[in-house]
Amino acid sequence: MSATAETTAPEAPTTAKGGGGGRSWVPKLTAGERVRALIILGLLAIVLFLLPAILSGYWINVSTDTAIYSVVALGLGVLMGRTGLVSLGQIAVLALAGWVAARLCFATSLPFPVILLLSGLITMVIGTLIGLPALRLQGLYLALITLMLAGAIGVALRTTNFPNGGAGFLGHTESDRGNGTIRRPALAHADTAFFRYTVIVVAIMFLIALLHVRAKPGRAWAAIRQSEPAALAGGVNITLYKLWAFALASFLTGVAGGLLAARSGQLFTLQFPTQDSILLLAAVLMGGIYSFWGAIVAGALMRLLPALLDNWGLPADLLTILFGVGVLQVLLTAPQGIVYQFPRDMARLGRLIGGLFTRARGAPARERAG
Amino acid sequence: MRKHLGSRRTRSVLGLLLLAVGLSIVVTACGSSNKSSTSASTGATGGGGSSTQQAAAADVTKCGQKPGVKASGTPIKLGAIVTKQPGTDFTDGATMAQAYFNCVNDNGGINGHPIKYKYYEEQTDPAQIAGFAHKLIQSDKVVGVVGGFSIIECAVDHKYWESLGIYELDAGIAPECWGTSNSAPPNMGPRYSSDGAVQGVIRAGAKKIAFDQSNVPGTGYIQAGPTAVAKSLNVPIESFKDNVPIQDANSIALKLVQAAGTDGGVVLNFTPPEALKILQAAQQQNLQDRVKAWACSTPCNTDFVAKALGQQWDGKLLVNAELNVTDNNGPQTNLYRAVFDKYGSKVTGGLGSFSQMGFTMAQQVVTALESIKGDTYDLKTVNTAIKNLKGWKTDMLCKPWYYGSAPLHIPNNTDFTTTPHNGKMVIKDGCIPISAADPGIAQVRGIEQKDPSLTQAGAPVAGT
Amino acid sequence: MPSWEDFKPFIITGLALGSVYAMSGVGMVVLYRATGVLNLAFGAVGAMGALIAWQLINHNGWAEGPAFVICVLFGGAVTLLYGALFGPPLSGRDPLIKAVATLGLALILLGIMSWVWSDKARSMILPSSNHGFEVSDVFVNYTQVIALGFGIVITIVTGLFLRFTNLGTAMRALANDREITATLGVPVRRVEAAAWLGSGLLAGASGLLLSNLVGLDATTLTFLVISSLAATLIGRLRSIPGTFLAAMGIGLVNALITPILSISQYRDMTPFVLATIALFLLSGRRGNALTGRAG
Repeated sequence: MSATAETTAPEAPTTAKGGGGGRSWVPKLTAGERVRALIILGLLAIVLFLLPAILSGYWINVSTDTAIYSVVALGLGVLMGRTGLVSLGQIAVLALAGWVAARLCFATSLPFPVILLLSGLITMVIGTLIGLPALRLQGLYLALITLMLAGAIGVALRTTNFPNGGAGFLGHTESDRGNGTIRRPALAHADTAFFRYTVIVVAIMFLIALLHVRAKPGRAWAAIRQSEPAALAGGVNITLYKLWAFALASFLTGVAGGLLAARSGQLFTLQFPTQDSILLLAAVLMGGIYSFWGAIVAGALMRLLPALLDNWGLPADLLTILFGVGVLQVLLTAPQGIVYQFPRDMARLGRLIGGLFTRARGAPARERAG
Repeated sequence: MRKHLGSRRTRSVLGLLLLAVGLSIVVTACGSSNKSSTSASTGATGGGGSSTQQAAAADVTKCGQKPGVKASGTPIKLGAIVTKQPGTDFTDGATMAQAYFNCVNDNGGINGHPIKYKYYEEQTDPAQIAGFAHKLIQSDKVVGVVGGFSIIECAVDHKYWESLGIYELDAGIAPECWGTSNSAPPNMGPRYSSDGAVQGVIRAGAKKIAFDQSNVPGTGYIQAGPTAVAKSLNVPIESFKDNVPIQDANSIALKLVQAAGTDGGVVLNFTPPEALKILQAAQQQNLQDRVKAWACSTPCNTDFVAKALGQQWDGKLLVNAELNVTDNNGPQTNLYRAVFDKYGSKVTGGLGSFSQMGFTMAQQVVTALESIKGDTYDLKTVNTAIKNLKGWKTDMLCKPWYYGSAPLHIPNNTDFTTTPHNGKMVIKDGCIPISAADPGIAQVRGIEQKDPSLTQAGAPVAGT
Repeated sequence: MPSWEDFKPFIITGLALGSVYAMSGVGMVVLYRATGVLNLAFGAVGAMGALIAWQLINHNGWAEGPAFVICVLFGGAVTLLYGALFGPPLSGRDPLIKAVATLGLALILLGIMSWVWSDKARSMILPSSNHGFEVSDVFVNYTQVIALGFGIVITIVTGLFLRFTNLGTAMRALANDREITATLGVPVRRVEAAAWLGSGLLAGASGLLLSNLVGLDATTLTFLVISSLAATLIGRLRSIPGTFLAAMGIGLVNALITPILSISQYRDMTPFVLATIALFLLSGRRGNALTGRAG
């Protein structure tokens, strides 16, 4: 599934037939794709059933976090990799989504899935409204303006604080005893159950993104990323599809925010520092902006790697340095990220090792396949 | 095309290596900041004369009951959770506790058992903190939670500790650190320390107060204390909040000075780097004499701040000190300095209230462990011993400290006022009780009156 | 609503804050005009230089003067090194990519600073901060004057330099299109190196002044550039005087809001709100003018 997406991503779409109505939304799977789908279902089963059995409570929480942030990375990947729009403010959108989810949890007694959906939709609306004026901007200016908007949201949140069961629109109270806890789904209250719930929701999010990418929006985005004038000439409604990209990314981040709110129980602005938006960008670049597996790698880089470093007694600052080095490395040599580059590096390594063996047997040195 | 890529890759790798090598040369040429900070702090206090000579000569073997004997039995595991993120670094408490435990382990341990200590650094993420709490109990199998210092840990974990019968020894910040039955800190925290600072400026003659704090969780709770205290003394008070890290300290200093007025006092509740920004901005705008008095809650009580401020603030800045100064020549303080010199290479903040608190908590748990009869050190025995601590006297605190069974714990409710002098913090006013106008303090005084043995000095603590 | 008397002193602090933003803002735009790279690591480079100077003064016993010189030179050296290694390979790419690459440098420096010098209360006061003069009841210290003067001088000098000197013109051509400039016989490597070095020295000097005016704190100084970016955006990444004036404006508005208690809490939003408004106004009128090309 993602490999096909990978190979078509860098080039202009070859089958941009302007859509065949409703049918383009239901993908037809080839045999190869069917196999891949089965593998992914298998991996999903392992994650859902095997991981909780072998991991301790702490690592289950880390895995939940990884899953949540991979959805955020997915949103950024849709913007950056698919449509070519860079946003430096996704963490601010995540914070906003968390705010919405927390407020809904305290103000209403709607079931959790409804709250997730609502926080996704409300964030989608806000994200689209923000995207609307930014449409005319390109490249660097767009990135910078998202940074500005993120800064503004950050300050606003720091001043109003996150809802914690108080009254009024802002829902924040300063009482000195126990603030409310954001509730989790009735079915999935314990950490392990919530982990499974999260993984399922995350899988659904990835599916939604996949359906978009393989259908008309995906083709339109690819055309826009390749060349706006050409896309315009080809009859693509640029405004609509750019907005759609913002909408999808915001929806995904919105749902992630809801999951994050429930997982944390209480939200604090310190959980969403400015630095994280930049680290997210770095992680997504390293993971690979074109591929869905890259989003999962990015989520792991954001949440699993710090936990591992902490476990091995290494300072968290090492992570910051690694991310910096990673960004430079990716931009210079492997724009498609680790996910694309790693198998190729491994293959090259394999050929190298194989070549040593053939040479050792006296056969003529194989031509360097690198 | 491939060749081009290959040379790019080589070049980029070489470039990164060069950058890394260059930077590390620069950094190592400047020397290790940890080691230097140790020498700098002892150097800075060298001007104290004979008292410091005596202080440095304290016998480090007093940590444990068998001097010189290395502990080698089954370890007693203790753990903690501390906040470390940009703008907030509370690791000094845990690193100093670790230093003390190392000293104890080198001098007999606890009945021959070494103490094994593990602490986790969190970034104010409730789920991360709850995860660490579970990890400490389930993976690391600790039997006591000692030396923690976190913005929200008490709030997140107190129910979990209660369910396990754990009595936490932590340096508090969140209201729950004092307001629940399973936590008793050696410090009094931002609220009661700010109360003390307010009392300090009122003693210095302030007729109006401008109170400013960092905008982190709990500002309402913290603000309520100074408001109550000022009200009881008929002094009007205006409260502010500012986001950290501070970018525009000039405007903040100006705003506070305007709000306090010429007859007023400015009271700050920030971490040292942020408070320093405001104080320096005030100094650079020549505002420090525009108000009657300036005061700071406990975090400012560190020689780093005294040194950075320079002599213009000598005697002018009143710092509410939850703990005694680091060169008061008392037995526990001398032991603290000796342990810091020998084992404290990882304590990056140097001598100061954070590491003092870590030392005190470590001493407290060691006293508790040493009081356990028999050889079982599990959750029950260890935490019962901790809960039974009382009459615990140290020269670092004004009054003997205690735990006990109570719905809230504010054992440190009487404190010093310090002021910078020649690059160090010195005592200005001795032990003054925090005003009982603050309801929490009133409640705790009631508990102390009912059971006087809590605050009567009991068995001597290590170092005496 | 506060009175004029209440506002007056905040004009001075506003100018001080504005010159803080102006230094980073102008520094970044200058490099952008000269190489097409928006150096988001400007703050981090300055911060690290300042911390190294602090280390030299407080732990290695250096005198202040040489330490300050090292700070400035460090800024130049690191930026030059970065430019020499990563400038050419990235030169043909989108300005966005080049800017994101500097984020990589910023992260590396931030990580190193956090590791070596963890968050402690440090200060490095320039001798000029202890002297000053009064302007209608508000004390202005000489460091603030130097900062303002520095900003003005840099604005004028670099503006003239880029416009009227051969090297400056070469730099602008370079930023616009490296390939064509090379074919025209301009020694691209050397011109680039000059641009990077100049910008780096600026970063080091700014770091020194900013550590005094804002605080010697790695994270604050590194992310100060985000507020300065607002000024560069209002100047459309092109006009150096525009950036300077925008920065002063942002600083003034930010400070002047302080006494208005109802919105005082939100004043940190000032750079972002102003930049957003300005950008939408400008892009509305110009349409496609805000595309990638620099120079």
